[in-house]
Amino acid sequence: MGEQKKEAVGTPGGRRIADIILECRNLWKIYGKIVAVKDVSLEVKEGDIKLIFGPSGSGKSTLARCLAMLTTPTKGDVFLMGECLTKPGVDLNKARAKIGFVFQHIWLFHHLSALGNIELGLRRVLKLPKNEAREQAIQALKEVKMEEWANHFPAQLSGGQQQRVGIARALAMSPEIIILDEPTSALDPELTGEVIDTLRDLAKKGTTMLVISHEMPFAREVADEMIFLDEGMIVERGQPELFFTKPSSERARRFMARLIKLTRRE
Amino acid sequence: MILTGFLKTVQLTFFGLIMGLILGILLAIGDLYGGKIISTIIKFYVEFFRGSPIIIQLFIFYFSVPIMLNIRLGSTIVGFIVFALNSAAYQKGYIKGAMESVYKDQMTAALSLGLSKVQAIMYVVLPQAMRIMIPGWSNEFSSLGKSTAAILIIGERDLTAIGRTIAFRTFRFLETYAFIALIYFIFISIVLKILDIIYEKIKIPTIEISA
Ligand SMILES: Nc1ncnc2c1ncn2[C@@H]1O[C@H](COP(=O)(O)OP(=O)(O)O)[C@@H](O)[C@H]1O
Ligand SMILES: [Mg+2]
Repeated sequence: MGEQKKEAVGTPGGRRIADIILECRNLWKIYGKIVAVKDVSLEVKEGDIKLIFGPSGSGKSTLARCLAMLTTPTKGDVFLMGECLTKPGVDLNKARAKIGFVFQHIWLFHHLSALGNIELGLRRVLKLPKNEAREQAIQALKEVKMEEWANHFPAQLSGGQQQRVGIARALAMSPEIIILDEPTSALDPELTGEVIDTLRDLAKKGTTMLVISHEMPFAREVADEMIFLDEGMIVERGQPELFFTKPSSERARRFMARLIKLTRRE
Repeated sequence: MILTGFLKTVQLTFFGLIMGLILGILLAIGDLYGGKIISTIIKFYVEFFRGSPIIIQLFIFYFSVPIMLNIRLGSTIVGFIVFALNSAAYQKGYIKGAMESVYKDQMTAALSLGLSKVQAIMYVVLPQAMRIMIPGWSNEFSSLGKSTAAILIIGERDLTAIGRTIAFRTFRFLETYAFIALIYFIFISIVLKILDIIYEKIKIPTIEISA
């Protein structure tokens, strides 16, 4: 049914008006006196890759966690496939299972092997039988080229390898969307490449993603839209070329200039 | 005779330790997730059992509680109850500490997969907390093992009580008590060694081990 609809609404421009997977409307998150997210609205369509960037403390992580309902927004609504998640009585566990999340500090389960990390959700949330869970977990590890490390524990893996397992763990649940919160920023520079490569592969397969990242070459290559966040607000948004050529806001311009300088230096 | 006393001590210790563990886990979870009222009740409970002499606790459960509830409690039962409740109060501290140390990030990661809070505790938080907690458990074991001796105060014939009887009968106080102390020492050392081995066995592998 979904496929038919997508074809029917295909546009001549090559981009089709696909279904909205995840959306927030007038979202606020307030911690005491700190307004971490201020009236943010955005939507991610099927197959979209949105890239959020902005200075540290600008509310990127908070926004991502609200979208995944890992924290409750103070005001505003979140919709997953049209279902409002911010109403009382919603089964949030079920909703979260459909939203993959990759954390900045990785947060693999320390007591489980790479395989065990991935199997847990498959077994306990999707309730797959043992063999099937194992097969799918191995498949997920293959997608991030980590199948040889299946029986290693997190502490036995490099940061980059751990993060690839983190991505596989999210991927294995066949989520509607994957949210990645600065997946490479906790890694040594020489390890970011392998994770970015993994993300590129996902992008090629058409995975719906919301990525928080400052890897500008990657952003330019894969993002459908970039969103510049500052002080909890969306300051500017548009196609990557906009930001790389002529951002209209002064703040975005300055931030881009600084980022590009940093990237060159490396 | 010494053997039956020893067995009583072992029984009291292990029962207290294991019931204390189960209750302690419940108390820790209640404290972490139960809200303010439950948390306050648990705090009073813990302060009572940690803040009063175990002899008083034994007296209360041997003399006062049966009167209040109009029931009869034998000294063995009272021993089991008091040492379990007492140990739970101590173990709750270790468990809560261990759970808190793995709690936040690992919990968030588990929830992000769609696990419920209960599942996250069962499959992610507790398995890690238990590992962290074993050294604390060793402490609790050695102190509980020794404090079971207090039970002679309500007439139970544990290892120390038997020792006292023998000492009075033979008038060889020094030798008898030294021998009893040695039994405690050997018992506790062996169990601590076993806990140590378990700790090493279930330790989460790191790079050194794989190399
Ligand atoms: N759990 C929290 N409690 C209080 N303040 C928080 C919490 N999480 C984030 N903040 C605050 O919200 C603001 C945005 O933080 P964050 O979303 O982490 O920004 P970013 O990811 O862009 O660096 C910061 O000022 C931060 O201190
Ligand atoms: Mg952040």
